[in-house]
Amino acid sequence: MRVDRRGSGTIGRRPGRRGAARGALALLAALLAGGGLSGAGAAPAAGSDRENPRPLAATLAVADTPADGGSSLTLTWDGARLAAALAEAHGEAEDPAAAEEAAKEAAEEGVEEGAEEAADEAVEEAADAAETRAAARAGALPAPGAGEVDVERAAAGDTAFARIASVPASAGRFVDEGLERTTTYRYRLTGRGAGGRLLATPPTPPLAPRVNAFRTRRLNALAAMVFMGACVVGLILRARRGGQIYIRRISGLDAIDEAVGRATEMGRKILYIPGIISVNEPQTLASLGILGYVAKLTARYGTELEVPNIDPLTMAAAREIVKQSYMEEGHPEGFREEMVHYITGDQFAYAAAVNGIMVRDRPAANFLLGWFAAESLLLSETGQSIGAIQIAGTAQVTQLPFFVSACDYTMLGEELFAASAYLSRDPLILGSIAGQDVMKAAILAAIVLGVVLSTAGVAGFAAWFTAL
Amino acid sequence: MKKQVPILLAVVASLCPVVGFLLPQPWVDEWMNRRLDEWMVIIASFALVLGVVSVVQVNLHKVRRRSRGWGFSLALLLSLGIMSAFGLFGGQGERADGSLHPFTWVFQFAFSPLQATMFSLLAFYVASASYRAFRVRNVEASLLLVGAVLIMIGRIPLGQAIHPLVPQIAEWIMQFPNTAAQRGIIIGAALGAAAMSIRVMVGIERPYLGKS
Amino acid sequence: MKLARKLLLIDRRIIFLLVLAGAVIPILFPIGLAVQVSPPVRAVFQRVEALRPGQTLLLSFDYGPSDGPELDPMADAILRHCHKRGVKVVGLSLFPLGGVDMAFARLRQLATELGARDGEDWVNLGYKDGGQAAMKAMGDNLALVFPVDANGVPVGEIPLMRAVRNYNDVGLAVSLATSVLGEWWINLVNAQFGVDVAVGTTAVSAPKYYAFMEAKQAVGVIGGMKGASEYEELVAEAYPDLAGLSRTATVGMDVQSIVHLVILFFILFGNAMFLATRRTRQEA
Repeated sequence: MRVDRRGSGTIGRRPGRRGAARGALALLAALLAGGGLSGAGAAPAAGSDRENPRPLAATLAVADTPADGGSSLTLTWDGARLAAALAEAHGEAEDPAAAEEAAKEAAEEGVEEGAEEAADEAVEEAADAAETRAAARAGALPAPGAGEVDVERAAAGDTAFARIASVPASAGRFVDEGLERTTTYRYRLTGRGAGGRLLATPPTPPLAPRVNAFRTRRLNALAAMVFMGACVVGLILRARRGGQIYIRRISGLDAIDEAVGRATEMGRKILYIPGIISVNEPQTLASLGILGYVAKLTARYGTELEVPNIDPLTMAAAREIVKQSYMEEGHPEGFREEMVHYITGDQFAYAAAVNGIMVRDRPAANFLLGWFAAESLLLSETGQSIGAIQIAGTAQVTQLPFFVSACDYTMLGEELFAASAYLSRDPLILGSIAGQDVMKAAILAAIVLGVVLSTAGVAGFAAWFTAL
Repeated sequence: MKKQVPILLAVVASLCPVVGFLLPQPWVDEWMNRRLDEWMVIIASFALVLGVVSVVQVNLHKVRRRSRGWGFSLALLLSLGIMSAFGLFGGQGERADGSLHPFTWVFQFAFSPLQATMFSLLAFYVASASYRAFRVRNVEASLLLVGAVLIMIGRIPLGQAIHPLVPQIAEWIMQFPNTAAQRGIIIGAALGAAAMSIRVMVGIERPYLGKS
Repeated sequence: MKLARKLLLIDRRIIFLLVLAGAVIPILFPIGLAVQVSPPVRAVFQRVEALRPGQTLLLSFDYGPSDGPELDPMADAILRHCHKRGVKVVGLSLFPLGGVDMAFARLRQLATELGARDGEDWVNLGYKDGGQAAMKAMGDNLALVFPVDANGVPVGEIPLMRAVRNYNDVGLAVSLATSVLGEWWINLVNAQFGVDVAVGTTAVSAPKYYAFMEAKQAVGVIGGMKGASEYEELVAEAYPDLAGLSRTATVGMDVQSIVHLVILFFILFGNAMFLATRRTRQEA
């Protein structure tokens, strides 16, 4: 939807010559008609003219916007017909049928534009739509341009229509957002005929936006959720019935025992760093799962364990896990609260503090498992410099190269999430890993199919994967 | 009971955002999105108290026992006290006369440079890690090395000075091979995260209960 | 070959020293190498350029002082671009240190530089905790998340904010992000609310955003100091009267160039030593 920006009076704006000339004509027409320049924009607005506009030959329909929370209404009209009617009223087209044809052709040309131009257009349209809404709210809309109509609205109790936006007559559709569910609204489209005479479509019947039952635009997301849920639950049930599920070797997880053993032999501590994001991050949850396993080993062998935290919620969960592990191993006396402690919520202050612990206490093994950002290299390089055996794992692709270059073992992406299944060999968890793989295969198939269909020029398939 | 109630809570709480994502009803939005998000923020804020208590306990213990590095712990406790006092009672930002409140002053002239210093260490660490890691051990490693060299030259103005193609090659590597690899890992990791979330949602994995 | 083996195990502090020299020397003796603009940065510039005067750009300062050297120049260049074009700027932060320092400093300094008016041309809403929760709530109403601006003025009393209720009234959201926040802007704000999102990020995080950009989930990416210098270049090209203003990223590119060369030297040197020792091992 295009909106004329003339008269917005901001820095760097250079109105086109044609636009400026039309603006001057509109101004002249307004003065001749005796209308003022007050009100929204600079359109002529004689009182009687507004009350008794000439009919504009187009039908405006209003309907509730489907699949929303009840805050918008959608207006539709025959764009080509309205554009033709407006052109005729302007006296710019002698033959209305020819004008209609011209408008249709213009619309088709728009469709046939190159991909790049279409993208640019979309960008500008998105920009325009947002601006229109904002300007309407501020009550500072510029005057409509040639070929444009005003969308006017009257809420229940309003005595007159008020302009809320200017849109191209050929657009055919306008969504009015930010409405109240408890109020009814009427709409009309207005334009200017020869001599600045106001033309308007008949007002729509009053309608209030409605709350819809379901966001149909997110049906594809629901389908994906159900499919993945079914895969995971189905394979969990299969595993429960005794079905064998294979999981490949993950060397980083195999090395945990070696790292704990080394620390025990050397009589040095183990440093476990569970990433820098709270427990709402799945990587942190996965890391806490591995921490339980490590804590059981340190409890069994009497090795010192330290878990410095950047997030207090993670600290609370980690403390419970370590405590539980020590209890399960029959060494509750080995657990001290200060083993799992908080440092700071700041990324680099945390990195500095953990580096300090590494340099001072020289742990024999460092575990860096979870969500990491730029501190990954600061921590792993310091660990490397003190000669600690380092096991890292993250799904943060940008940090993986750092871990790979500075650590002895690195779990890449999903390997971290598979850790609990791998370590526990719990068939239920293994089932979920298999379900995840089925989903991955489905995605892969969809990608291949999408590439083939798009290459063959079959449109539509790819659209399922964007908002419906 | 001690286990079932938290699991039930976790299951219900984890389903709420899913329902809120799909259903547009105002009460769903109010209770399953907005309220839940607000509670999350409130709980996280209270959890910070836990963190501060932990910091004080651990460091006070170190100072009392004169453990190794107790001086650092003392500095930390003093900084914590002073900055808290500045933040709570000293105001923030600029005063009317243009001077800075103590909290903002320390932030700008102590904290900010320290932060920048920590981040700048990356340049040094990247240099030493690259020196160690990039070796032509085999064909794959050699390809990696060539790619890295092209990116490093292509991402600086010198690349353009050498040949206009160099930055274009660097950009091509970033746009295609890099993106392809990133997508592979991102899709795998996202599915891993989704499966992990399902396990937590149905109570198979319960790290929040201290059960790994 | 003993020497080669010794050199292979070179003390990393020697590497550090040379990197330091590479960083300091270009600051003392600037080279002034020309900057070539890459497509991802040009895409962001063009999207800002497509905003009409009076439209709103939401600028989220999701970084702290540590990332300032890379991201501050981006903020400066984008703010200059917006103020020059008459695009309104709503500044906020979802990263704690961004709200305390970065947004305050950048918005005020640039507004002073170009005479933009607080509350009319730009506003600083300050910091809000909650990350994704805050992002979601802003989709409904910004005032729910930021009832007052950073100066404590209720948003209802701020002229600029009267026209900005939620994301529908935002032409473009730009997150200058460290940590996970940039991804959240894309995965949540773009995906769920359909707002165009561009991300400015540190060089180390930039590669992952290419995947989002290629999938059209992000308008473009400004990566690190290089990206910032490119944006500075584009602004200077399009608005010659701004060309004389400070261009910290462009100056910083000299340092980056030399440090890259130092690292490259060490990589090649390390490989030469590695090959020399390998040949000896094979012969033995």
